[in-house]
Amino acid sequence: MSAGPLSLVLAEVEAGTPTLTQMARNCGLDEEVVRAAVEHLVRAGRIETRELSVGCPPSGCGGCPLAAEGEGCGRPDVLQGRRPGLVLLSLARRVA
Amino acid sequence: MALTEPQSRNLNLLASSPQLPSVKACCHTTTDAGAGPEAPVVALVGAPNTGKSTLFNALTGARVTMGNWPGTTVEVSRGVWKATRSAASCTCAECTCDPDEKRLELTLIDLPGAYSLDPHSPDEDLTRELLVGVPVAERPDLCVVACDASRLANSLYLVAQLREQGVAMLVALTMLDVAAKRGVQIDTVALSAALGCPVIGIDPRRRAGLEALAGAVGEALGEAAPTPRRRPDTSDELELDDDRFGWIAAAVEAGTSAPSEQPRTWSDRVDRWVTAPVLGPLIFLGVMWMVFQITTVVAAPLQDLLDGLFTGPVSAGATWLLGAIGLGGTWVEGLVVDGLIAGVGMLLTFVPLMTLMFVLLALLEDSGYLARAAVVADRLMRSIGLPGRAFLPLIVGFGCNVPAISATRILPGARQRVLTALLVPFTSCTARLTVFVMLGTIFFGEYAGTAVFVMYVISIHLVVLAGLVLRRTLWRTMGTEPLIIDLPAYQRPTLRLTASVAWLRLKGFLQTASGIIVATVAAVWLLQSIPVQAGEAFGEVPVQDSVYGVAAQAVAPVFAPAGFGSWETASTLAVGFVAKEAVISSWAQTYAVADPDGGAPGALGTAVLNSFTESSGGHPVPAALAFMVFLLAYTPCVATVAAQWREIGPRWTLFGIGMQLVTAWVLAVAVFQVGRLFW
Repeated sequence: MSAGPLSLVLAEVEAGTPTLTQMARNCGLDEEVVRAAVEHLVRAGRIETRELSVGCPPSGCGGCPLAAEGEGCGRPDVLQGRRPGLVLLSLARRVA
Repeated sequence: MALTEPQSRNLNLLASSPQLPSVKACCHTTTDAGAGPEAPVVALVGAPNTGKSTLFNALTGARVTMGNWPGTTVEVSRGVWKATRSAASCTCAECTCDPDEKRLELTLIDLPGAYSLDPHSPDEDLTRELLVGVPVAERPDLCVVACDASRLANSLYLVAQLREQGVAMLVALTMLDVAAKRGVQIDTVALSAALGCPVIGIDPRRRAGLEALAGAVGEALGEAAPTPRRRPDTSDELELDDDRFGWIAAAVEAGTSAPSEQPRTWSDRVDRWVTAPVLGPLIFLGVMWMVFQITTVVAAPLQDLLDGLFTGPVSAGATWLLGAIGLGGTWVEGLVVDGLIAGVGMLLTFVPLMTLMFVLLALLEDSGYLARAAVVADRLMRSIGLPGRAFLPLIVGFGCNVPAISATRILPGARQRVLTALLVPFTSCTARLTVFVMLGTIFFGEYAGTAVFVMYVISIHLVVLAGLVLRRTLWRTMGTEPLIIDLPAYQRPTLRLTASVAWLRLKGFLQTASGIIVATVAAVWLLQSIPVQAGEAFGEVPVQDSVYGVAAQAVAPVFAPAGFGSWETASTLAVGFVAKEAVISSWAQTYAVADPDGGAPGALGTAVLNSFTESSGGHPVPAALAFMVFLLAYTPCVATVAAQWREIGPRWTLFGIGMQLVTAWVLAVAVFQVGRLFW
């Protein structure tokens, strides 16, 4: 039996395909299906997402969202009105 | 047309709702005006942001919250749907009433938004419970699933699960206009065949398609529930989900048509170049070179203006004021004029430069370009065998090393965290930028921007080389972590956002720097005021005879092979260990104290140039370059050390400090010794 879309997408993540567009091309799937698959895998806890910020937070370095969940650059008041930015997705380690 | 007897009349969660008028389920049924206990119950379900609440409002006229925020529908809403079916949609064989008045009154419940029947929140749990958890007799008679046509695949997972449960349902397709703008056309007939349930295209905001929806609901209520879709005989979650997504992919393929050649947006076209394996890094370097060039060239006149302001009127005014209150010529004047004004003033001259820098970086970030740079950086990291995710803390490190060290927590393995935390100090933070710009301006003139850019390139090379050495020696077995990046579309940067981000960062820089500068200026002033030999008064000792000067003279010979073995320069490195922002202020302080009359604009540059010329034996340019390399490679600041101590422990922190000092010294000596052959 051939692998389904989710397995294909997971394999692409594991292989390090850097963008969803490239992933869709590699899998021969509609990009919207790949996007939905990734979102589903995120909800299922198989992929982790993290919004990235390149600069450092003004309120002090210790408050960086990359250092502490929900604080720093990622605080809602800082992000308010901000457009969608860089989102990093990575394979989560799941306990069977 | 005869309707089946509604199955549900008392959904537990709706029991407390006000009693609704009696049913009028078809044009042949009672003449009662409102839906009542006998009215069919139709549940409106769908993922958040599919237009479900808008549809509910359009159908019932109820005043419920409408919005685009995920999870707005947090409670069950209920209303009466007084539907008017189009004449064509009525299939009653014996209908005698006026076709235009064919009405259908239903109880409509708006269930909380849910992506699936696998609950991840109390809202989703409730939806699942009401749709498939309660006994069949208590379930809604029909589900209307709102699906976003522009994100069809995402909406269809819930449909797939409902189809497995044999739930009577139909799909209300919203956002068709958005899908059309993307070049996607939906064939509702083909999609309906693929999904095994009716599909109706609607636009609830314009109240379009609602009659057709009412007609389809009426028909669906009169039909038996569809046969459940078969699913694989397995309990493996991934296999089940894979099967559903296979079904979804097939439905999307059957029911949608996009242009054979996907229209390449200009964003796609740009991405082809800026994320290309070879050209991408070159473009990135070009962009960063432009940033530094624009920064230094445009900010230079403003910097000179501020320099003149602080070394001229401000210093003179402070001197006059202190003299007027009887403190002229005392240690207070030394602290205020040669310490605080010289040190803090020098830092403030960098405000235009930092502002411009932060604005340019904010523009790059807001436009979406930095996301592409991250793809390029990630590819580079992995191509040399470093963990892909490590690029993130390293990029943060170019802003400030301290959060970058903390950001290593995103790495899953302890080895990766330690390795990345050891590499972060080699990234050139904005505090070092001020020193680079100053030295670049003094020694490289109009090529200052290029000189600063070269330091950033060296910084990247240091990270890569140190990473490779550590990987090949200490951590040979470390695995790599895969990742993908969802690239946002390019967008026109907004003035508000750019200004806001730039201001927040500038404020953060000034807050951090000003505190450090004032503290170190006070400490340096104190050390420069304490005489080493007896017989000299506090505050009246020549700097070279103070504790500060004598200590610096003891250390200075270490740097002689690198061409900057003067005590004035060596002392700034000690201050720079505290914070790089303080390097310039301590320089300014030292020369101001040593030569109180030399406070003309540009005097600091001349003094630094003379010092390097003398210490390098007439090769100031390679000596300055060697100093910049040393400054880049050695310990960034005590705050970074503290962050490392917290994240990777004392052993690796001390190892890192040692590694940085050795690397910095070796590189500085190499740069000077090779450079003196040419300059």
